[in-house]
Amino acid sequence: MIDYHNQHRDLIPGSPAQKLLEGLGRAVGFHDLDHIGAFGMPTGAYMEDMLAPAAIATAATRFGPLEKVHAFWFAGASCDGCSVAATGATNPTVESMMLGAHPGIPRVILHHPVINMESGAHYMRAAEQAMEGTLNAPYVVILEGSIMDELLAFDQGGYWSAAGEEPWGKGGELRPVSTTEWVARLSINAAAMVAIGTCATWGGIPSAEGNPTGAMSLMDFLGKDYRSVLGVPIVNIPGCPPIGDNFTETIAAVCYFLQGFGPLPEFDELGRPAWLFGETVHRRCVRGAYYEEGQFAHEFGDPECLVELGCWGPVVNCNITSRGAVRGIGGCMNAGAACIGCTMPGFPDKFTPFYKRPPGSLASTTVSRMTGSLIRPLRKFSNNNLNREVRWDKTGEVTSGFGREKSDPGMLAEVTHHFYDKMRRFNDNATNDGAAWGKIGDDGGDGRHPEQARGFKSGESSKKAMPGRR
Amino acid sequence: MCFKTLPVSFDGRGNATLRGGANPYGYTNSTPNHVEVTETEREERIKRLVARNGHIKDLNMDPITRIAGALALHVQADLDNGEYLDAHAQATLFRGYELILMGRDPRDAIFVSSRACGVCGGVHAHCAAYAIEMAMGIKPPPLGTVVRNMEQAAEMGYDNPLHLYLLAGPDYSESVIKASNPELWPLAESWPCPNAHIHGFKKMSDLMVALNPLTGSLYREGLDFTRLSREIVVILTGKYPHPQNVVPGGVSTTLTLQTLNEFHSKLGRIFDYAQRMMAVWDDIPAFFYEADERYMQVGSRPMTMIDAGYWDDPYAYDGTYENCNEWGDKRWSTPGAVIDGKLVTTRLTDINIGLEEFVEHAYYEPSHTTRHATDPLGNPLSPWHPWNKRTLPKPGARDWKDKYTWSTSVRWDRRAVEAGCYARMIINAQSRKIPTSDFIESTGHSVRMLVPKGEVGEREVEWHMPDVWNAFERNRARAHHYLYSQLVGLESLFEAYKLFQQGERQVASLTPEELEKAIPQDNRLGVGFWGAGRGWLVHHLEMDKGKLTNYQITTPSTLNASPRDPWGNPGPYEEAVMNTPMIEDLSNPESFTSIDMMRAIRSFDPCMPCTTHAYTGDGEIVREVNTCSCGGD
Ligand code: SF4
Ligand code: SF4
Repeated sequence: MIDYHNQHRDLIPGSPAQKLLEGLGRAVGFHDLDHIGAFGMPTGAYMEDMLAPAAIATAATRFGPLEKVHAFWFAGASCDGCSVAATGATNPTVESMMLGAHPGIPRVILHHPVINMESGAHYMRAAEQAMEGTLNAPYVVILEGSIMDELLAFDQGGYWSAAGEEPWGKGGELRPVSTTEWVARLSINAAAMVAIGTCATWGGIPSAEGNPTGAMSLMDFLGKDYRSVLGVPIVNIPGCPPIGDNFTETIAAVCYFLQGFGPLPEFDELGRPAWLFGETVHRRCVRGAYYEEGQFAHEFGDPECLVELGCWGPVVNCNITSRGAVRGIGGCMNAGAACIGCTMPGFPDKFTPFYKRPPGSLASTTVSRMTGSLIRPLRKFSNNNLNREVRWDKTGEVTSGFGREKSDPGMLAEVTHHFYDKMRRFNDNATNDGAAWGKIGDDGGDGRHPEQARGFKSGESSKKAMPGRR
Repeated sequence: MCFKTLPVSFDGRGNATLRGGANPYGYTNSTPNHVEVTETEREERIKRLVARNGHIKDLNMDPITRIAGALALHVQADLDNGEYLDAHAQATLFRGYELILMGRDPRDAIFVSSRACGVCGGVHAHCAAYAIEMAMGIKPPPLGTVVRNMEQAAEMGYDNPLHLYLLAGPDYSESVIKASNPELWPLAESWPCPNAHIHGFKKMSDLMVALNPLTGSLYREGLDFTRLSREIVVILTGKYPHPQNVVPGGVSTTLTLQTLNEFHSKLGRIFDYAQRMMAVWDDIPAFFYEADERYMQVGSRPMTMIDAGYWDDPYAYDGTYENCNEWGDKRWSTPGAVIDGKLVTTRLTDINIGLEEFVEHAYYEPSHTTRHATDPLGNPLSPWHPWNKRTLPKPGARDWKDKYTWSTSVRWDRRAVEAGCYARMIINAQSRKIPTSDFIESTGHSVRMLVPKGEVGEREVEWHMPDVWNAFERNRARAHHYLYSQLVGLESLFEAYKLFQQGERQVASLTPEELEKAIPQDNRLGVGFWGAGRGWLVHHLEMDKGKLTNYQITTPSTLNASPRDPWGNPGPYEEAVMNTPMIEDLSNPESFTSIDMMRAIRSFDPCMPCTTHAYTGDGEIVREVNTCSCGGD
């Protein structure tokens, strides 16, 4: 039997991962499944085999060479919120990936404690095979939650977070194996290491100031020079929780590339999918125009820009305002909630206390208040004009029974709007009136109702009609 | 109201006093007298059986899948007699949130404690807000409370189908039945479903196929309905599972008519589905009980449970501990403690002072204190009460006789109490206190509900207190709780429309500047009495000089995953497993899957994501906070 103890040599020297495996000592052999029998196997089959009939596709319909890929989902110091977010994804859904029900995506054999039918030792079997190098397809490791310093707990004979047990204790005794240990061991042969959620990508709340577990991110754990067997550094999909679609779409995009029809997905300097995290959330915020016009929410619930309620949107990379949270719906500022920077490496400590305006926002809000106070009345002025039919301008009457529109824009407004109209048509050289374009006849020349056509006869705008065919 | 074990008496007006004597709370002075089998008797019996019989298996299932979070279960299984002789539940995750919240600004507690659990993320944020409001003396405006109710009702709309179809459902599916209970399959093929006209599955076997993981139509439909309810939640909260809109004193949602209308149109799609869900989970127990009566024992334990109530009356809730019994009684779901099926109290103060947390079998050092001899009303508090709790986590070796889990033993009146969304059904059936409603009625022994018309017609349903309490009844009650919660959502939406009509728009009582000024400098206590997808959820906090000095979370799964208490009584999971018979064919020990034990465990809807405690490293506690979601403590 192989002693996996020496595995630590394959990790980046000096990285916490390498130190952990070195410190843990012997790791010889795996469970004796004969002893365990069917215990924990209520369907008598592994999930992979159960789903195979429904999930297998030919090379033609999967558009590429990759038939299947294993995905090991581990939870470190996590709240399971990333798992929940992933099951909420719709572009694509997790189940469509598992069932290969999405053209081009290889079938994803997900090993996820919330989904799998097998429990206990049987559940861990695939991970053991991955360690041994006997798994039947390439695998990726997906980590949710941060990595805790397990040497600290191991030295006292315990653990912080365990996932299964293996006979790696003293004298071959079963001992709980920590998530951290699994991640370190599986990183060696992995095709890719993916961190989902802010805990796994940057440490998140479990690693906040004052934490006793030494929690850290996956990158900090494996080291800067870590590369998967495909030569890929760690991929990071942050968010607390992340948007489910950001996760499934990234996995899908990588698959499209591997299948040969998608472009190489671009990742930014922190390993984030660049096309998802390249913009600040402020840039696509539904309240952005309030900022521009210098209008700010004062009370919770107000419709304006939230920056003075504690919104960090202008300096945070996130796409929730445009993508939505679930099936395109929701989004923090869309609902009225200020951004606390939950996707950022500085979360949470660089954003606390919450509900307090970011100090740096003072300069920009002052400027936008000034420009806004000029722009807003001008816009309102134009908006009034555009809220009137051309016919109302002529008849001087607004026909809505609600009577909200003022029927008479007032002398000054009329003159200004006239002037504005001229400006708008400045480059329009067509000076003939409608008749010259064959537009005014009994039927209006273009199929319009005669009365409708006549309405334009004397009007200014008929003279300025768009040049048409003769 | 009286406690059976705790040394506390009540006068006619319900005020509690401590009975005299030295050390009244001592383990030997206040010993629960309901212990059926002592730990020594259990051990002796196992020893005798092992000596006689080679078929006792010592098995550890780690991890148990299809639950949220990390749970393992150690059992001693007597395959000859088809009995689980012993069981130990292990919460296998600890995260150190305590020191993270310690010394922080109280405003941080909402978003930080929310991350205690992402399975029911919104509930912690809300619970924290209630605890802060009590400590700081803030009362949200009615619309703020109504929006919170809407969010939390919608969250149950995600939580219940997730459990019933993704986590528990597969245990009753064709794929499991054919492998683990093959004798049931021919029966299922010929068993006509009594509710076929509602859910559309003619034979039980059709229904079981639909429960198959990933490929079954019920599994897929359940997943999709969790998404629909999440859509409803995020209209108000911005994101899921961690809401971004909860603030001390209300919410920050910008409520427009569109918000309410969207909520309405999405919620309207749920009621037909709720009818199907109840029909499915009524037929499953009927089939299993008929096939083999022993299924009534799967996951059974006394109907002894606790709940802190849920969904406030927007006009009664004032955020004070002084009035908590009044506003607690007006909740859409009444608080309560149920002992052996009987509702013994609905008062939040009784519920609070009966609470204790022990660490004899958990990876912590005991360090209870007496810093608060009474609650703010003068009712006596145990040294093991969360406000008095001093806990030192200490990872260590696993020892079934000593320490084996990250979960503490939570007890109420020194009894192992269960938590679940179904506790709401049990309490509301008996309390007759829920608000007057066109849709829900508490009869004293059942909950009657009117399902509003969707594409199928309206229907009246009634959930009755079951005679036995077991895995099947948990799932059935959960399916009914789904409807209950959605009706509360509907009622709350109507309340929001009404407030809108009156021109009410205020959703929070303080502006951010006012909130900052309101942070008190003196010593304050607070408690959030709330609920989660699994029932009971309570946050206790203490603050001083404007900073948090203690933060304790007692979650539903901490109650359920409790290890043995100081008197050797098992926690609810452990007890339910020991009461579970092995119904599967045991002629070949190799093919023993333990399916019934898994059905038992999963019926609780375990949710273990977090365990947190303070640890300063040098053995001396400087400050200590505990935020824990589920499972551990
Ligand atoms: S609400 Fe936040 S993200 Fe939106 S405009 Fe204001 S500062 Fe930017
Ligand atoms: S907007 Fe801010 S708080 Fe909301 S998801 Fe994005 S980063 Fe997180």
